[in-house]
Amino acid sequence: MSDQRGTDGVRSGSGDTRPPDSPVITEPVRLLVPLVLTFGLYTAFHGTSSVGGGFQGGVVVAAGLILLAFAFGVTKTRDWLDRPAMVALATAGVIAIVAVAAGPLAFGGTFFDLSAYPFPKAVVYGIELVELGIATTVAATVLLLFLELAGGDDA
Amino acid sequence: MSEVLPWLVVAPVVPLASLPILAFRFDRVGWPVAAITATVHTALATWTAWTVAVDGPTRFVVGGLPARLGIELAADALSASFLLLVSLVGLWVLAYTRRGGPRSNLSYALYLALLAGLSGLCITRDVFNLYVFLEISGLAGYALVALGDGRDAAPAALRYLLVGTVGASLYLLGIGYLYVATGTLNMSAMAAELVAVGHDGRLVVAAFAFVTVGLGVKMALFPVHTWKPDAYRAAPAGIAALLAALVSTVAGYAFLRLLLSVFTATLFGVNPLLGASLRAAAVLSVGAGAVLAVRQRDVRRMLAYSSVSQFGVAVAGFALATPLGLAGGVVHLLGHAVMKSGAFAAVGVVEAATGARTVDEFAGLATDVPVTSGALAALSFGLVGIPPLVGFFGKWYIVLSAVRSGAWIVAAAVLASTLLSLSYFGRLVQRLYLESGSRPADTRYGAVSAGMVATAVVAALVALGLGLASAELVELLRPSLSGVGP
Repeated sequence: MSDQRGTDGVRSGSGDTRPPDSPVITEPVRLLVPLVLTFGLYTAFHGTSSVGGGFQGGVVVAAGLILLAFAFGVTKTRDWLDRPAMVALATAGVIAIVAVAAGPLAFGGTFFDLSAYPFPKAVVYGIELVELGIATTVAATVLLLFLELAGGDDA
Repeated sequence: MSEVLPWLVVAPVVPLASLPILAFRFDRVGWPVAAITATVHTALATWTAWTVAVDGPTRFVVGGLPARLGIELAADALSASFLLLVSLVGLWVLAYTRRGGPRSNLSYALYLALLAGLSGLCITRDVFNLYVFLEISGLAGYALVALGDGRDAAPAALRYLLVGTVGASLYLLGIGYLYVATGTLNMSAMAAELVAVGHDGRLVVAAFAFVTVGLGVKMALFPVHTWKPDAYRAAPAGIAALLAALVSTVAGYAFLRLLLSVFTATLFGVNPLLGASLRAAAVLSVGAGAVLAVRQRDVRRMLAYSSVSQFGVAVAGFALATPLGLAGGVVHLLGHAVMKSGAFAAVGVVEAATGARTVDEFAGLATDVPVTSGALAALSFGLVGIPPLVGFFGKWYIVLSAVRSGAWIVAAAVLASTLLSLSYFGRLVQRLYLESGSRPADTRYGAVSAGMVATAVVAALVALGLGLASAELVELLRPSLSGVGP
């Protein structure tokens, strides 16, 4: 794995010589990506009441960013997305879920008993936080896997 | 006290999630993080087991929901003993991997995932949740096998992945049928619904068949055992000691849990053919595993085939469905796990010190690695079933129960497999002690640490202790083995 990253670094260091795609591709992608990201977030939050949820939402968010990589090049996208930050996000999602689950213990509840939180509609907001945590971890992990497998070759 | 139960799963998950971050800053942070987590986990498991022994079974429903809707976690003497096994083997395997490797941060992240998955399997009372934990521990296991440094590690891991996933999918199909039949995923609610639905419905029988084949793949019963020899041969020795002790054993526990808490003894009462088929499958596995083990030249493959036979013995105990047979199966599973873990660690030490991998290459090595050879010989006798090691008692209870219930074929198969195992383990011990090797004296391999040897020795001592305390163990287990669990 580390070897492969090494060669990627060499490639991106020697300059991304690939010409940008035609505006027919880049312009719609530019317009679409914010919508895709918003829809991903919507899907993640929608999990509390109906179909949807963190897994699906996270994958939609990651798919939006992978669309960017297709239009503007994998190397450019990799340079733009900070790898340590992605790993941190993947971790933060899990830690956030555990924190939400363990929080009720501080208010005299049991593990994951979200109704113990002393604010209105705590169960709904708690679950949405959990969905957000799942979405963060899933999106970051899918992107990390994609960038790991895609290599640096834009050909 | 039941508050502890979710933390048995969560405790390994938090360090697991933190490892990738720590890995940016520190190169060899995996082992210390895993060691601290395993110690905390052992403390939690010991506390759980102690409370269960003193106060009786304990349960917890996540989220304060009714058990029918929420995920129920519970520990009785049966779950607690497997939980303790997972913790302790996890802990002593770390003593091996400190020097024996694998040492990458990635491998310890996988180790923690395995720990979380197996702990979850031990305490969950929700059949779908059980599937999730089966997959978590399975995925961690496949990746751990791939860490081996031989060129056969990747194909072995891929085969394990493919076969293991098919097994888990069959299990999922089975619980899908059960859900259709009963409308719930909670084990005790399911058992109650099954009484109303009847145990002889096609859905129920098909569900049992799928669940049995699915978990049979994970236990590596003949003829769905093919992933095991390659995986245990290709994995790093420390990982083989971990996987051989825990993965199939906990799958065996899961099978028994479903048998006790979902299907109950009524299933075999209503469908005598199912019990007979399960017994036949177990007997086939006992015989085929032993015969295949005799034919192996590679020591690790021999140990793997011996497991195929030993899991057949345990399942035969479960299939008898008598209190003594069930208790024998459980003692055999626990004892086999402890002894196999030690045997793989000892073989790993021999490999690291001398490079020997086949039975013939083990000739005369007792003088090179005296302590390890002693432990390996003791564990071999234990696996054959020679008292006072625990290997004897499990088999003894099963044979006794088989004779009492007139299942002569089961009794004969277990005794025959004991003779065969004496032939293949005897051959190993004879090579170690009574033959002189032809190995050139100047070849030196990697260093062996005290921790690596200690892993094998501790396993041998625990096997001895379990053997001496087997009557007490059975007494503790008895309440959790009768009828429907809590």
